[in-house]
Amino acid sequence: MAERRRTWPVHLLLVIASVIMVVPFVWQILTLFKTTSEVSRIPPTILPQEFSLHAFETFFSTVPFWSMFAVSTGSLVLRVVGQVAVAALAGYAFARLPFPGRNALFGLFLAMLMVPSQLFLIGQYGLIRDFGLLDTLPALAIPGMFSAFGTFLMRQAFMNMPPDYEEAARLDGANPFQVFWHVMLPMAKPTLAALTVLTGLYSWNDLLWPLIVSPSGENRPLPVGLAGLQGQFGTDYPTLMAGAFVCSIPLVIVFLVLQRQFFRGIASSGLKG
Amino acid sequence: MKHTWTAALAVAATLLTACSSGSGSSGEAAPAEKVTLTYANWSEDQAPAMEQIAAEFQKENPNIAVKVQTLPWPEYWSTLQVGAAGGTAPDAFWMLADHFREYAKGGALIDLSDTVKSTGIDMTAYPKAVSDSYTYEGKIFGLPKDFDTNGIWYNKALFDAAGVKYPDDTWGWPQVQEAAKKLTDPAKGVWGIAAPIDAQGGYYNTILQAGGSIIKPGGTASDFAGPEAVAGLKFWADLQKAGSSPTLKQLSDTEAVSMFENQKVAMYFSGAYWAFRFHNNADLKGKVDVAPLPQGVKRATVTSGIGNAGYAGSKHPEELKKFLAFLGGTKAAEIQAATGTVLPAYKGTQQPWLDSMPEFKLQTFIDAIEYGVPLPVAGNTAEWQGLAAQYLAPAWDGAKPVEEAAAEYQTAVDEVLAKQ
Amino acid sequence: MGWALLFIAPATIGLVALYLWPFLSTLIKSFQDVPAFGPATFTGVDNYTELLGDGEVWQAFGNSALYTAIVLLGIPLAVVLAALIEQAGRGRTVYRVLFFLPVVTLPVAIGMVWRFIYNGDFGLFNYVLSWFGIDGQYWVADPRFTIYAFAAVGIWMGLGINLIILGAGLQAIPKAVYEASALDGAGRVRQFFHITVPLLSPSIFFVTILTVIAALQMFDLIFIMLRSVNNTALADSKTIVYLFYEKAFVQFQQGYGAAIAIVLLIVIMIATALQFRLQRSWVFYG
Repeated sequence: MAERRRTWPVHLLLVIASVIMVVPFVWQILTLFKTTSEVSRIPPTILPQEFSLHAFETFFSTVPFWSMFAVSTGSLVLRVVGQVAVAALAGYAFARLPFPGRNALFGLFLAMLMVPSQLFLIGQYGLIRDFGLLDTLPALAIPGMFSAFGTFLMRQAFMNMPPDYEEAARLDGANPFQVFWHVMLPMAKPTLAALTVLTGLYSWNDLLWPLIVSPSGENRPLPVGLAGLQGQFGTDYPTLMAGAFVCSIPLVIVFLVLQRQFFRGIASSGLKG
Repeated sequence: MKHTWTAALAVAATLLTACSSGSGSSGEAAPAEKVTLTYANWSEDQAPAMEQIAAEFQKENPNIAVKVQTLPWPEYWSTLQVGAAGGTAPDAFWMLADHFREYAKGGALIDLSDTVKSTGIDMTAYPKAVSDSYTYEGKIFGLPKDFDTNGIWYNKALFDAAGVKYPDDTWGWPQVQEAAKKLTDPAKGVWGIAAPIDAQGGYYNTILQAGGSIIKPGGTASDFAGPEAVAGLKFWADLQKAGSSPTLKQLSDTEAVSMFENQKVAMYFSGAYWAFRFHNNADLKGKVDVAPLPQGVKRATVTSGIGNAGYAGSKHPEELKKFLAFLGGTKAAEIQAATGTVLPAYKGTQQPWLDSMPEFKLQTFIDAIEYGVPLPVAGNTAEWQGLAAQYLAPAWDGAKPVEEAAAEYQTAVDEVLAKQ
Repeated sequence: MGWALLFIAPATIGLVALYLWPFLSTLIKSFQDVPAFGPATFTGVDNYTELLGDGEVWQAFGNSALYTAIVLLGIPLAVVLAALIEQAGRGRTVYRVLFFLPVVTLPVAIGMVWRFIYNGDFGLFNYVLSWFGIDGQYWVADPRFTIYAFAAVGIWMGLGINLIILGAGLQAIPKAVYEASALDGAGRVRQFFHITVPLLSPSIFFVTILTVIAALQMFDLIFIMLRSVNNTALADSKTIVYLFYEKAFVQFQQGYGAAIAIVLLIVIMIATALQFRLQRSWVFYG
């Protein structure tokens, strides 16, 4: 910057906007310490009048939080690892390894990105069932591992890399897998991080699919427990808010710790679009 | 990046073992082997009672394990449907009258007619309205688990505060309308009654009380636009018009039963199934009771009940039939009654239920069987029932005359019925 | 060539088995009458002709289109905010983190929190409005307002991701361009319109494409905020994906549901193609 500009108007606007962003969360936290009768008071009270922890008690006595947390985490890890592996390989081939029908096949991948995911439900369910995977952790993760989105993202990353390194490696006698593994993949780290973050987000948030592939009710992740809570405690808002808070907080913590990776990852997904 | 590959291999290994173990276990079905049945329901409230029933059954049948699973209500039917169509539904599950026909017609339910004969189950022990709901083309596909009739749940404290006499069996429609008006106090945010667009607890009953029918005999056309049905619908629209009920919007934000639990409405027409919840609500201690529905031209209430049904594609049909017969028997009924969860369907097992919550005049619900009418079902019931809110809301809001809204709803329902 | 096949095989097998095949079977179903159980019967284009005359379908498309249009308004907002954050110097990260919070919160949780905030009687939103003397509404119980209420949440949820993508685009703009124009005496607002927006247009375009595809597929919010409770506004507030879900999974009409989904796919493809066509006139590739 050539001249130093005043930044307080910028901060003023941003602080106003941030407040709007954060108010729902603050309200959620204030509510979960209130009693059920206090939340339906008109006009609403801002701070809890009589501080109560019953919402947490109700939540933890209703939802098997830790086992659902384990399922959420386990299926997330599986899905992320699978998706990254599958997408990196395919993305590299689409970007760098010519083969007949490459463009047509890639077009097919792209087209699938536009199809609403609910439309695949029945077919995917049939496959998971036929492989005897219902009620298992892999069932939660498998469709997401093969999402065309990852392949698309990785292809973009590899396309944008300078060909020099690759050629040098090839001249040294490396086979395509070695080139991919030792040269190209390390350079794609930011995109790998992006894919990890985005796949992790989708996995953590998924509601409908886990319900369908778990007919016996085993291996159900947190969103399912949370949705069930709403059916049961309709308008017991403190309990609902406590559930929403407790189930969301793990990912929020991960985000706060790894925010740099989150931002860099998501940014790299957009930059080269 | 090395980790990626090790993990990917681990995934592949998991997949392979999962596949092989999956296909391995399905082949073996030796009779002496211990089998596991799954039993699905949608109620966390009732899950403990279901567990108890399952445990009792296992005591008698050590070779059959039963796993109770509770699904959230909003996802129950979609999950069950996908499972049943895909061959992996739970073995036993709760069924409702309005979904039953599609399942029975599609051959998704196990036929229990022979089991009933061979185990000597007395079908007359169940309220006829309920057992009929789970019979399709002469075959029995489900045994009644519980039943419910409707009554007026009312808040004594609010009645006392307004100086209004409690409802009783002498009440007719005008008494309800008058009381609702007197009980309403906008300054306190209290209304006399909740008047949502509720079929089972609400307008089906008043249509029947006015002498109407909901589905015409034969099941190919509905009867919402007849003068009796219009009178029955008007009962609710009038309550809205008089301001005696929270508006539809308020009832969308906060469901009627929650309004009642929050003590914002004094009367709520609904079923016996709430007794357990009100009983457990500390805020309502000593404040709630129940009275019969008011009389119109005659007395009437819709009766229905949950049925226990089995999946036709179950891998263990014999064990499943045995379990379903047990669910339909006295022991299961007694456990339900003793835990107070619901009104069991089996005749003579209801006393423990009455005793479990002596503060409510629960006998009201049992007496109502006399004038109970089965929940109307025809064609794709879930589909045409789903249209009700859309067509009837303008009548409740006062945006359209009841006659007009009713006629439009009838046309829409008949279109659905014509598709069959 | 052999290597390429090895690389491509896992993704392709997965694509065919888990996406392409389910898609094709849905396509086939859209030409059939599919009962919940038992065999389907071929009915030609019946589902499609029925759909054209079905007011519910048109309404759902209208709702989805309205929702998408409003959510798109979040993009100019995101561009302005991204530019402001870029100028904020220290504290940038704090803003980014705050704006990003909804992205890492469970959609189910978001739906619950906003349903409570929108409550017509004791919700926070109406309370805040009352400070300014504005009458409250039943935001998620009155069909006149539901789509707007959802769209506001949609913008709120999507802002975080959009800001990051646009921020990265901003950082790629050479500082020298700004310095040169500052020497010419251009103010901040002029710079924003004459430098930032044109040079950022590829990122804006990317964000627009993502937003439109996601908005046309809106499902979670309506599922959490309306379906789980007995809400009379639901009838007039269905989005197209919600309608598909209801037909296929609740009302035993998989064939009809499939036809709705196929039409939606066609709409999405047309919308995307249109945007690519239109980008020529406004996206600036430096």
